[in-house]
Amino acid sequence: MVQIHEYNDEKNVGSFCINDNMDLLIEVLKRVDGRSLSTAACVCRQWCSIVRNDSLWEHLCFRHVSPPPVGVRPVVSALGGYRRLYMVCVRPVLSRLKRRRIGGGGESEVVTRVWNQHEVELSLSLFCVEYYERLLVGGGRGGATAGDSTASSLKFLCKPVNV
Amino acid sequence: MASSGKGKDLHQTLPDSGGMDELLEVLGYKVRSTDMADVAQKLEQLEMVMGEDGILQLSDTVHYNPSDLSGWVQSMLSELNSNASDIVLPGESSSTTMIDFSNNKEIDGQQQQGTKLYDDDPYDLRAIAGGAIYGTTAEESPVSRNGIKRMKSGVAGSEAVVAPPESPKPVVLVDSQEAGIRLVHTLMACAEAVQQDNMKLADALVKHVGLLAASQAGAMGKVATYFAGALAQRIYKIYPQDGLETSCWEILQMHFYESCPYLKFAHFTANQAILEAFAGASRVHVVDFSLNQGMQWPALMQALALRADGPPAFRLTGIGPPQPDNTDALQQVGWKLAQLADTIGVEFEFRGFVANSLADIDAGMLDIRSSEVEVVAVNSVFELHRLLARPGAVEKVLDSINAMKPKIVTLVEQESNHNGAVFLDRFNEALHYYSTMFDSLESSALSQPISQDLVMSEVYLGRQICNVVACEGTDRVERHETLSQWRTRMNSAGFDPVHLGSNAFKQASMLLALFAGGDGYRVEENDGCLMLGWHTRPLIATSAWKPMET
Repeated sequence: MVQIHEYNDEKNVGSFCINDNMDLLIEVLKRVDGRSLSTAACVCRQWCSIVRNDSLWEHLCFRHVSPPPVGVRPVVSALGGYRRLYMVCVRPVLSRLKRRRIGGGGESEVVTRVWNQHEVELSLSLFCVEYYERLLVGGGRGGATAGDSTASSLKFLCKPVNV
Repeated sequence: MASSGKGKDLHQTLPDSGGMDELLEVLGYKVRSTDMADVAQKLEQLEMVMGEDGILQLSDTVHYNPSDLSGWVQSMLSELNSNASDIVLPGESSSTTMIDFSNNKEIDGQQQQGTKLYDDDPYDLRAIAGGAIYGTTAEESPVSRNGIKRMKSGVAGSEAVVAPPESPKPVVLVDSQEAGIRLVHTLMACAEAVQQDNMKLADALVKHVGLLAASQAGAMGKVATYFAGALAQRIYKIYPQDGLETSCWEILQMHFYESCPYLKFAHFTANQAILEAFAGASRVHVVDFSLNQGMQWPALMQALALRADGPPAFRLTGIGPPQPDNTDALQQVGWKLAQLADTIGVEFEFRGFVANSLADIDAGMLDIRSSEVEVVAVNSVFELHRLLARPGAVEKVLDSINAMKPKIVTLVEQESNHNGAVFLDRFNEALHYYSTMFDSLESSALSQPISQDLVMSEVYLGRQICNVVACEGTDRVERHETLSQWRTRMNSAGFDPVHLGSNAFKQASMLLALFAGGDGYRVEENDGCLMLGWHTRPLIATSAWKPMET
């Protein structure tokens, strides 16, 4: 929804380019859901490099956790980062739990749900287990592209639930 | 002609129809009125026989003249009877020309079913019915001379037809609507035969089971195949070597870990108990009786790393069996765990012990440091039951656990009694248990194509089945016992129970909710212990203990 104009005329007070206001962009991106964030990465190179910033994904993961967990950041970063955490654990966990609770609630409701502490802990544990499994396998499972291959112990999260 | 027999009342024979039933004649069938009841019965029998797999047994014989309904039904029945080994017709009046392959040995009265076994007739399938179908003899009512009394047994969907005792062809017609029920009964009958050391009969029955199981799709067929295989091994006295593939066992367990929640549940609940016991400690030591690939410990280390007051120094002692190729598998696992610990910033130390049996280890070997310095936890997931194969071993190990002065001991075991003194009891328990297990695996397979994990998990369970059924003595290591039995044992060894808190329960419930097919899994709290089950049947139990205050 943001139009990017060719910014030629400096005296043109009305036109505005988001790319010149990175802080604003980041503030906006901090509030969107995972799918939008991923889409944003495809807009242009500049946006892509911003989206790759892990802190945005950290916001996404723990936006609705109250209170946000302490000391998690170094651990998560070491295990592969928040983006990976989101893709591999948080998103499937949330959607699976959401589906189970309401029995097919829409995807848009997923993000607005508030996590509780247990779900956070569980996701982190599963994430750690997944990292360890990749260690065990030795990273040789079909090309270790980041975020691509999921270790088998979490495959159960990827499988569609037979509703 | 006067009407006689059942169902005849409505049909008047006209003098000029030559005694044929008028209504059927209109349709083209010539049936004598006097034969009506007889033909009706035979049609019913034919339907029963063909309804099952009788249709597959029809040869290319052409049956002529179906308008002569009586004769036609007759020839159909006799053809099917000569093919089907387990369908036998009740003796009837002499007007029939049935092939009789039944055993002419008399059963005097109906009391003999299930208990008397005729060992020179492999097709005497009375044994199959056994007690399961007949129940008590009180159910049987006196049989009239002309008719065949039908009895409903306690089993849904099956009917047993008992011939009158004075008939020269006394046999049993067992009809199960469900092939699965027949399968189970055959299995149980085979186990009974083994129990009574009647190996010839058991041999015949086990082959029969194999055939039935092959035609049964789904979990029941798979379970039956494994049990049949195990029974066959027991009958032929081919005992599988246990220590044959230790590394295979670990790989199988990994697949089992990935395909269903049992091991994950075990790890997560035990970890929660250990985490709570370690609260406030700055140095901790875990003694793991069942290290395998170390899958339990990453989650604990991560939880320790995120502790509010920072991670403690974490020491892990892992015990494992010797590897056939002499590789140091324990050290490799230790090395990977160390890498993980380094990544997340936990001070880590590892020691591995190779031992054939846990009883070979005692507390002194493990470098247990004083409890002011270090808090100790002992963890055993599906390991302790193996010690029951040798007398005195489990008591010795529990004593050495006590000597380690642990703050907590976590124990996860299968919730079933596969260690009874009587083979038949063990067999029945195991059949029920593993059927439920396979059922749960099956349901998680519904939402995905058959994966390698699933197949490997079944092999993993199949090896346990084989051990429970086919092995004896020190070879039989899968000596599972129930939670109440373990409770008694732990109490007498000097341990008090520690209640697993609500955190463990919540985490476990959430974990299960993540699994596809998760609707069937149930977490139950049982007096401070947690049990994971499939529908109403608990399958594994986690409990926590601490040494009694002296």
